[in-house]
Amino acid sequence: MIGPSRLRGLSSAERTAACLVSLSYLDGIGPATLRRCHLEHGAEETWFDLLAGRSDRVVPIVDLAARGNPELGARLARQARQRDPIADLAAQRVTGRHLVVHGTRGYPERLVADQAAPAVLFMAGHPDVLRRPTAAIVGTRNATLAGRSLAEDLGEGLARAGVTVVSGLALGIDGAAHRGALSPRVDVQPSVTGVHVPRGAVGVIASGLDVVYPRRHAHLHRDLAENALLVTEMPAGMRPDTWRFPARNRIISALADVVVVVESRVTGGSLHTVDEALVRGVPVLAVPGHPSAPASAGTNALIFDGAGLVRDTSDVLLALGLDDPRPQGQPASDGVGAREDTAAERAVMAALGATPSSLAEVVTATGRSVSEVSHALYCLMASGRVAETEGWYEAVPVALGPR
Amino acid sequence: MFATIPSALVMGVDGQPVTVEVHVARGLPGLSIVGLPDAACREARDRVRAAVTVAGSDWPQMRITINLAPSDTRKVGSGLDLAMAIGVLVASGQVPQSAVDGLGFIGELGLDGTVRPVAGMVCRVGAIRSTEVVVPVASAADAMVIRGPEVRPVATLAEVVRALKDPPAGWPDYRVVPTSFPDPPAVDLAEVRGQPTAMQALELAAAGGHHLLMVGPPGAGKTMLASRLPGLLPDLDLSQSIECTRVHSAAGLSVGGLITRPPYRAPHHTTTPVALVGGGADSLRPGEVSLAAHGVLFLDELGEFSPAVLDCLRQPLEEGIIRVSRARYCADLPARVLLVAAMNPCPCGEGGRPGACRCPDGMLARYRRRLSGPLLDRFDLRIAVFRPDPQRLLGGEPGPSSAEVAERVARAREMAAGRGVDCNAHLDGRLLDEATPLDDEATALLSSALGAGRLSARGLTKVRRVALTVADLAGHRGPLTAFHLSTAMAMRIDVAGTRGIAA
Repeated sequence: MIGPSRLRGLSSAERTAACLVSLSYLDGIGPATLRRCHLEHGAEETWFDLLAGRSDRVVPIVDLAARGNPELGARLARQARQRDPIADLAAQRVTGRHLVVHGTRGYPERLVADQAAPAVLFMAGHPDVLRRPTAAIVGTRNATLAGRSLAEDLGEGLARAGVTVVSGLALGIDGAAHRGALSPRVDVQPSVTGVHVPRGAVGVIASGLDVVYPRRHAHLHRDLAENALLVTEMPAGMRPDTWRFPARNRIISALADVVVVVESRVTGGSLHTVDEALVRGVPVLAVPGHPSAPASAGTNALIFDGAGLVRDTSDVLLALGLDDPRPQGQPASDGVGAREDTAAERAVMAALGATPSSLAEVVTATGRSVSEVSHALYCLMASGRVAETEGWYEAVPVALGPR
Repeated sequence: MFATIPSALVMGVDGQPVTVEVHVARGLPGLSIVGLPDAACREARDRVRAAVTVAGSDWPQMRITINLAPSDTRKVGSGLDLAMAIGVLVASGQVPQSAVDGLGFIGELGLDGTVRPVAGMVCRVGAIRSTEVVVPVASAADAMVIRGPEVRPVATLAEVVRALKDPPAGWPDYRVVPTSFPDPPAVDLAEVRGQPTAMQALELAAAGGHHLLMVGPPGAGKTMLASRLPGLLPDLDLSQSIECTRVHSAAGLSVGGLITRPPYRAPHHTTTPVALVGGGADSLRPGEVSLAAHGVLFLDELGEFSPAVLDCLRQPLEEGIIRVSRARYCADLPARVLLVAAMNPCPCGEGGRPGACRCPDGMLARYRRRLSGPLLDRFDLRIAVFRPDPQRLLGGEPGPSSAEVAERVARAREMAAGRGVDCNAHLDGRLLDEATPLDDEATALLSSALGAGRLSARGLTKVRRVALTVADLAGHRGPLTAFHLSTAMAMRIDVAGTRGIAA
């Protein structure tokens, strides 16, 4: 157990930070309680009251315990005695990482006034990118090719227009949006002073900065931490428990000037981000989909409920009150020098509707033989106009992309 | 005071001749059995003694020793009871030695003297070293399946003793009616509506012997499709028939006649490794894979099988044989099956179509980890099956009947026979290269697919085999075209892939 005496060697701000970090490691204290402890009772006071077994003096914890958890105070005190705030604080001090406490300098201005602002934030990378206009791009993990492709194009187009793209690093839409925003095609003007200009992307995660989740996005995680910004309210080493994702979503919507939902099922987690955005008065935009596509059921419902409609980057820029800085001509027509499509290929392209189709569906829709249809599909794949994932064929969207 | 009686055992699917040697001498009365008998075999002591007395003969009050030769292999089960009883009667002089010359005995005894059937009758009769064989009447039909020794069906030990003591009275005349082994259920392909790719895949699987994996939501008709596959396969040839019959007999199924149609086995997903590939501590009974040899093994809910069970299948699928080895003995069991498997795309069952799945990522990853890459690689044909459009279920034209397809399959198998293999799935290396030249467009298509990562080098071999079957079914000769190859590639979707999630 670390007595108050050792902490005295630290400055007052450091003491607060150290206590907040240690408190956020405790199992039982969530973001909301931590915030109340910090603002109402004081982090340092909370910590020493817990250690001394006087949790009944800490009103937020008393409130929490009153909701059917009478042992909470004792449990927290037990955990607290195992922790060393000085060591906990030292564990966060890694090159390139910042720890900012609510109400101190360096805390993102966008979050200061937020009703559920995190008491402490951990960031890696360049917090400056939050000074630019921001747009959150969120959506389902289980996305269609068209959805991912649009998310990537939106990410790239927005980054090119100087907008910072905020997302949650999840598989599917989130990852695609980050990839687009980090794309090397977005030309960051080389600074005259030789200072590296960070890329306009923010990843908000539900784990500690050193915990990579999902693993498949390890490269994005690294890229964001080095060249853009990675934000979390969880101290180093914390695993991304399921309940932390909704809390993560509130930070995404609090950081965003506008929230764009690319694809979502009716009960998708991205709709939680939308709810948080609506509470904060952040405009919500959605990408429409075919009525029969399950991946677009949530976004179509949002549009029906009054969300703005997104066709391309300029719709998002319009919602942000920005002009499209670089209007571009139409992309060059596809298939330069290609041969004419065969009748079977035309029939297959016509049968590949807005939603992914299986081979059997294309065969049924065209009334042609399995061999003919597969041949047409593979020829179309060879010329890049059809894509296949696990037996589902999709027409590659050619009209999408920044204009 | 000594007698030798021929009998036989079954180990795996092979019969093993056994000589029962009985020695009766003065000494403390008692019976000992030597020659590595197992528990059931040692218990014969009490059954034999009771049956002999009930049959009206005397139990010799002398020292009886029974040796089961060859004495260094383990003797399993109760099939030697009858031979032991006869040996005791001959050695004690109650039945003349001359009466049992050339006679073999197989059967279990009841305490009341009845002669009961034992498993593996077909294999035992095939191995016994005698010109006539006495068998339980209940398995007489099985004993007659293979042309071998003359069969003498009996119901009780008393009948045997009477026939041996009093030759003119002769053997009881039981009328043995060969029943035929129940064929797989008669279901026709014409009943399938609105499943064009699945129909094509079934035809390819039957013609080329390609293992088939169907992935689709519940209710898509995967089981219904699989049960129609045996009907497309040609009749078994004689050697296959005999092997198949022996396996069924060894597994304790009463066959009653030669099995001529390809078998269909659909073990439940709780099946244990031993039940699937065969084995067991004593008799090395054939498992489901061997029972399905030369026919169809259908594994429904492949994702629910334990990974250990599935990985047992890898070597048998490759080599067509299972070598089950135990410390004292080993057996080769047939395993040349056509494997058909069905699975849901994910635990919620609705996956497949991008955007429809409700499964958490972790659960999905766990589900997919159950299927090892090497096992998935064994499936030449991997197709998505979906619930057909209700309109096509009700209306729609019926597809081709099983008989029509079976005819095409038979023709394609003839072409494969011309290449020196049963079916194209067994083509390897040089034979495959010779059989599958490619035309220019086909080469271009393959190089584009290889370049784009849609096809691996290992996949290439499989795709060429399947493409050859596509060509054979179409009656095509000459180099393979892009049509054949793209059909083969479209029938080989990436099941355990990344579900289209950007990585």
